[in-house]
Amino acid sequence: MINLHWVILLPIIFGTIAKLISIKTTKKIMILFQAALVIWVTLIFVEVRKNGTILENVGSWPDTFGITLRADLLASAMVLLTCFLFLAMVIFVHNKHYADHLFFFLFLSLESLIIGIFLSNDLFNIFVLIEAATLIITILIMYKKTNIAIYDGLMYFLINVVAMSFFLMGLGMLYKKIGVLDFYALKTAFSQVKDPQSLILPYAFMITAVSLKAALMPLFSWLPKAHGTPSAPSVVSAILSGLYVKTGIYVFLRLQIAFSPLIDTSELFVILGFVTAIAGLMLALAQKDIKLLLAYSTVSQIGVIMIGINLNNPMAYWGGLYHLINHAIFKSTLFLTAGMIISEYKTRNIDEVKGVFEHMPAVGIATILSILGIIGAPLFNGSISKYLIASGSSGTWIEYGLILINLGTIVVFIKYGQLLFGSSGKKETADSDILEKAVVLTLSTLCFLGGIFGSELIAILFNVKLTVDRLSYGIKMLLFIGSIFLGTLIYRGLFKKTNRLAFITSFELGFNEICLSITLFFAFMVAYLKLTL
Amino acid sequence: MITINGETISIVLFFVGVYGLIARRNIIKSIMSISIMQVAIILYFISANTAPGSVPPIGDVAQTLQVADPLPQALMITDIVIGIGVTAAGLTMFIHLYHRYGSTNWQKVMKKRNHHD
Repeated sequence: MINLHWVILLPIIFGTIAKLISIKTTKKIMILFQAALVIWVTLIFVEVRKNGTILENVGSWPDTFGITLRADLLASAMVLLTCFLFLAMVIFVHNKHYADHLFFFLFLSLESLIIGIFLSNDLFNIFVLIEAATLIITILIMYKKTNIAIYDGLMYFLINVVAMSFFLMGLGMLYKKIGVLDFYALKTAFSQVKDPQSLILPYAFMITAVSLKAALMPLFSWLPKAHGTPSAPSVVSAILSGLYVKTGIYVFLRLQIAFSPLIDTSELFVILGFVTAIAGLMLALAQKDIKLLLAYSTVSQIGVIMIGINLNNPMAYWGGLYHLINHAIFKSTLFLTAGMIISEYKTRNIDEVKGVFEHMPAVGIATILSILGIIGAPLFNGSISKYLIASGSSGTWIEYGLILINLGTIVVFIKYGQLLFGSSGKKETADSDILEKAVVLTLSTLCFLGGIFGSELIAILFNVKLTVDRLSYGIKMLLFIGSIFLGTLIYRGLFKKTNRLAFITSFELGFNEICLSITLFFAFMVAYLKLTL
Repeated sequence: MITINGETISIVLFFVGVYGLIARRNIIKSIMSISIMQVAIILYFISANTAPGSVPPIGDVAQTLQVADPLPQALMITDIVIGIGVTAAGLTMFIHLYHRYGSTNWQKVMKKRNHHD
């Protein structure tokens, strides 16, 4: 018998008692603990894969009464990804001076909460976990205590609290109508509901909050500030951008599945995903700051994932989920390498960093592998997931939209890749920490392995057989090479000398404007549902 | 006709809070607006679905006929705790922000923040 609640509790307990041990031993035990956790979670995953979903009622109440934890295939795959990434991060911070007891306590608590969100089956429970995670992340993104950190932290905190208030209001209305808060009980309860009109308000309230968490089009302006702030250590940025934002997508997915018999908004969210992807790209191109560029590129990749999971096509759906996992890997590598580059060059301006390849070879290789992953180069993991999403959308405008998005991604990363080449002006190669190099190189090798063994990995993780057709994959790759040429031309012609999109950055939304956009999104959702249902 | 009961009042209060968030530039007022929204949510949970004359599920309720649904009340105890935590954390961060930037106005603080970059 495998107790799921221990997976959630152990990191937080360990983070607390680590305070008693000296920091040097703590760091060593921490790595062992994380490795053990990965093995244990793998065992749970194997168990789920073999015998189906594990359901645990906390406090041994009967079903749908108390809090239930549920590990189905998707949830346990996400938990496995979480534990693996946290293992990598704990190894990465091993020799860092900022990693003290408080940092580890917060970091491991965050791990507990993320695992909790993935395993939880109860809407109120998810609310509590997200609220606690918001508080912890706020402290983590202000961790280096730079001058501007407090503004970024307060913005992040208050906006997320406002969004979760919307979520809780929707939850109250849902409870009034239905009387249960359990995802699977909801699904059966919805089949009894005759009139979908009565669920418009709760759905609109909750989906507004979840869209903010997942950083969809009008609601993403909090994300780059939080993920790209100078005061956040690079491991925190990597976890936030690689993993935490995925909890929003995960809750979105669960809600959509639960509401699917009554309310179907997948078409709207495909369009929103497309708009998000394009807006994220434009903003990423306009940035000068390395971390902000990566943060905006996260926004655009979330758009791609949203397109995938909302297309109502099995190929695109699994492609979207695979892209979610791929994005976690290459984006966290990019954030880690960006952190190393920033601390070596002592600048965050992308124009001032030159010759990373020559000066820091290992970091250069890791960066280029993950860039190849994110732009979907042949044989890399991004190409498999983007291919699956594209083949699920064949024959619609989305297929061309995806080519456009990928072209934009290529232009963004040609801009980012400029820092690899040229001469750094420094004689000897930098001596960065061996563990850091090992972590980024391992993660970036995974980008390559995830591409070669793409369909096998999908078969293992999600238990679905998807075959990559060689002919159409070849055509996609020809398109990719074409896009590379076009992208280089666009970059050289338009962006090399002057930054033509720099004016976008001057439109910055303040707190009141973001709250206004949340309210407008909510009003739009209500109006849309009134008109379509 | 809309009757005046806990439910309608809570919805009105919720949007009063939302109005405060949109229209007020003062950071303390923003935090107060969030508190108002939280109070509205608590009122909604407690008052929705309660039959008039029912008793809260506290102490010995074996004799009474109608007991209110205990689940929303249990959830709201959790939410009150979260609400206090959020307000306290928000105000603490505001004090630090005020020491750094010397202003309670979102716009001015944002301008100073971008000046630092």
